[in-house]
Amino acid sequence: MKNVLHWNPPEGLRGVEVTYTVQYFIYGQKQWLGASECRSISRTYCDLSAETSDYEHQYYAKVKAMQETKCSEWAETRRFYPFLETQVGPPEVALTPGEKSISIDLTAPKKWQRNPKDDTVSMQQIYSNLKYNVFVYNTKSRRMWSKCITNSTLELRWLEPSTLYCVHVESFVPGLPRLTLPSQKQCISTLEDEMSALK
Amino acid sequence: LRRCLISVDRSLIEKSFPEIKRALQTNDTFPNVTILSTLENLKSIQPVDVCCVTSRLLTFYRDRVFKDHQETSPEVMRQISSIANSFLYMQKTLEQCQVHNQCHCSQEATNATRTIHDNYDQLEASSAALKSLGELDIFLAWIDENHQETSTA
Repeated sequence: MKNVLHWNPPEGLRGVEVTYTVQYFIYGQKQWLGASECRSISRTYCDLSAETSDYEHQYYAKVKAMQETKCSEWAETRRFYPFLETQVGPPEVALTPGEKSISIDLTAPKKWQRNPKDDTVSMQQIYSNLKYNVFVYNTKSRRMWSKCITNSTLELRWLEPSTLYCVHVESFVPGLPRLTLPSQKQCISTLEDEMSALK
Repeated sequence: LRRCLISVDRSLIEKSFPEIKRALQTNDTFPNVTILSTLENLKSIQPVDVCCVTSRLLTFYRDRVFKDHQETSPEVMRQISSIANSFLYMQKTLEQCQVHNQCHCSQEATNATRTIHDNYDQLEASSAALKSLGELDIFLAWIDENHQETSTA
């Protein structure tokens, strides 16, 4: 739910000092509102996360360029719907090895927070149908497989002992296609087989 | 009392609507008016009223929106037709629930759907229809979330 508006500078004005002003509109409301942090700025992006934090509404944004006394037309976005279009980040992943198993514990990603001291909101609370794609790679056999799960734990069984496995996980919400962001790859070795350890 | 649940055709949400969403919403020239209001309003619908509101909104789309909409693009028309057919299928499923008396309509449910009709009547029919089609993402997201085994709404 971190929503940043980006734009390209006007053509033919390279090297000339140009500033920008951004406004946003809540679909169904009455008027355009100024983005307080994006008035006469020189950067070409504006973080509208605070303004669009109510993810159940839909929004438009627009930006105009100013150069000395001259002003451009407004350039307007299409309708943006955070609830259906936000990119859901990866879960936190904890791996615990067994002899022929690895247990995977997932913690749902958190919603963007305006203030770190605010209460955290789990994306699971927003999307009750949040799911995970777990990708597992056996570095010895070079075999990769994946499994789609709904709850936050998965026990991989019938693995080879003393073998390095690598795991990464993606969160996803069934529905409109969205970009996914995989978690960092984590690798862990299964424990030594007890029998061979006794020899 | 077993809940009345319908399943949403995944291709509707993942393909048909996304392909025409931009065209519909770009042509909607009244951004200060909404028909379905917001997901927030639909979210206030209680689980017991989900069947009734779903049925009445499917009827709203069938009897008003699809009829009033004037479309020039054959591609958009094709996708709207497939959405309309899916809605008919969902409605048939709901009719079974009504037969088994699982589609209770409370005053809140009736008020919610009346508000939607009132919003629709604020605009000229073809503009209202276009706007309602552009808001299908709100309706589909609400159906998807409320017609799951685990959903608590």
